[in-house]
Amino acid sequence: MKAETAKTKKTRKPLTFATTQKINGYVFLAPWIIGFLLFFMIPLVNTVIYSFNDVQVGETGGMEMEFVGTDNYFDLFNTEVSTKSQQFIRVFSDENSNVLVNTPLIVIFSLFCALLVNAKYKGRGVVRVIFFLPIILGLTIVTDMIAVSTGGDMTAVETTATEETGFLMSLFTTNSFLPANVISFIVGVISDIFTIVSKAGVQTLLYLAALQSINPSLYEVAKIEGCTTYETFWKITFPMVGNMTIFVFVYTLVDLFLASTISQEIYAFAFTKNKIGVGSALSVCFLINVLAALLIMIFILTKVVKLDYGKR
Amino acid sequence: MANAKAKAKTGGIGAWFKEKWNDNSITDPLHRTRYFQGLVVKIFAASLIIGMCFTILYPIIKLFPMVLNNVEELGNPDVVWVPKSFSIVSFKAAIRLVYGNFSVMLLSLLYAASIAVIQVFISAMAGYVLGRIKIPGGSLIFILVIVTFVVPQQSLLISQYLRFKNFDVLGLFTLFTGGTVDLINKPITLYLLSLLGFGLKQSMFIYMFRQFFIGLPKELEEAALIDGCGFYKTYFKIAFPNAIPTIMTVAILSFVWNYGDTYYTGYFYPDGPFVAVKLSQRFAQTQSDTIVTAVQTWFDAPAATSFAFDAVRQAAVLIFLVPLLIVYFCVQKSLVENMEQSGLVG
Repeated sequence: MKAETAKTKKTRKPLTFATTQKINGYVFLAPWIIGFLLFFMIPLVNTVIYSFNDVQVGETGGMEMEFVGTDNYFDLFNTEVSTKSQQFIRVFSDENSNVLVNTPLIVIFSLFCALLVNAKYKGRGVVRVIFFLPIILGLTIVTDMIAVSTGGDMTAVETTATEETGFLMSLFTTNSFLPANVISFIVGVISDIFTIVSKAGVQTLLYLAALQSINPSLYEVAKIEGCTTYETFWKITFPMVGNMTIFVFVYTLVDLFLASTISQEIYAFAFTKNKIGVGSALSVCFLINVLAALLIMIFILTKVVKLDYGKR
Repeated sequence: MANAKAKAKTGGIGAWFKEKWNDNSITDPLHRTRYFQGLVVKIFAASLIIGMCFTILYPIIKLFPMVLNNVEELGNPDVVWVPKSFSIVSFKAAIRLVYGNFSVMLLSLLYAASIAVIQVFISAMAGYVLGRIKIPGGSLIFILVIVTFVVPQQSLLISQYLRFKNFDVLGLFTLFTGGTVDLINKPITLYLLSLLGFGLKQSMFIYMFRQFFIGLPKELEEAALIDGCGFYKTYFKIAFPNAIPTIMTVAILSFVWNYGDTYYTGYFYPDGPFVAVKLSQRFAQTQSDTIVTAVQTWFDAPAATSFAFDAVRQAAVLIFLVPLLIVYFCVQKSLVENMEQSGLVG
């Protein structure tokens, strides 16, 4: 008996270093993998299944499903309306145009902010404190609640708002040659500036990290060669933050879509209107929409930003 | 030089300009043009920076006249910046409506802090393996992390909700207890999500840790391994402590976001002690009349209009922001410095 155990001990090879590393690696990843299966993969598959079924929650808590094909999708776009009585095709188009306009603006704005924060001047500390405040002030709950919302007897505040934009409008129309719709777009962006500012906190932080990691000797070379600040920005700064630009774009796009009202619609469908199937169809449409927007954006970006510059 | 400066001060800006223009040390016309060009650029940049700071602060500055005004005076078109009579009725009402004895706020701060700790630990572990250890399927898992980042949680809301409503792992609970477990409205749901790597924006945190560990010099860990540290000792003694910059950044972001989160807390634990959820429920647009009536009766202000609703709501938000602002002012310097070292280069 004793000899036998000794023999098995001898014959069993000790685990190699690489194998133990692999095993321990999987141990470290185990929580995430379990979470991925439980909270991502299975819900995702279930959502797709629900969207093709008429789902009712039974008395005992079980699910009763009846296959109805693509009816849920047709219902969603033909007969159902949102909680604000809008057609869903309208909800989606509003959402997309809003996101696709605001994403580039936020990215450009945050790069601009990061450049300002990164430059050296007196009082930079104070400016930094203020520029990163949007990380806190941009919380959805805060932006929702500091907005003045009262209707009816709000005329006083509203007139001042239109007076402000009206001043800008007249300034642009009398002093520039831009067409009217471009002017109204610019004025719209300007009067909506706090939306952009409040979403740009984290992006500014990310860009600042990227700017800090650029090798200073590149700037020295540019200076010696006689580059202007403008040339330095386009030839060095912009290509070097290329990778970060892609990440910031993705982050902004996802963030904007997350802040959309669609989640309330989905919840309303599932738990107040008791139409889990249609709600799931809406979820799937929303998911496809986000991924499509993301792919298009990345496709365009990789044409504009040359990734190879940024690789280290 | 000092003399010139003093002279310039006494003579006003015109005299200073003349002084500079005729300054003998910059006689070269090109040099002179450059000097004044630089000056114009500086003034332009300064006004730009000040303007942007104002833009960021404006919504907060705008709140103060509103919340400090007498609730009956609100809506008076003559009052824009300086209220005719100051009062803190809005704050009193907000405290009475939402905060009570501030125990809810304390609890949600505790919740945010504990979730932040969990998220840091789990994300750092996953990020370390993805960034450092070569395991089969590692790059696939990294791609899946990115996928979970870009897929909006809303699209999974229904089936996640139903899943928690009838929670079961591989039919084990049904086998042992004869039924599924209802996890909605239980705190464990939120901790479970963070523990298994699917808390608020946790995919992004994993990504940040991965980027950091890729950039960390390998020599430290190799030395530790040669000296006989195992995998776990290497990680907890060498890799994790060296990740302090990223840990700080992730912890702060996670704390802020979880404190202000209404998605996970609102849908999966709506009755929980969360200030953000309480605020969004209490100050929903439909509650406007109730709150105005409450203000009218509590504070003997019969002339209060629906403006009072806005004022009370904004006062509530200001109180909500106080702990965040305190934390922010304590850590903001290290937040920026840490971000610079955190190696997140895209």
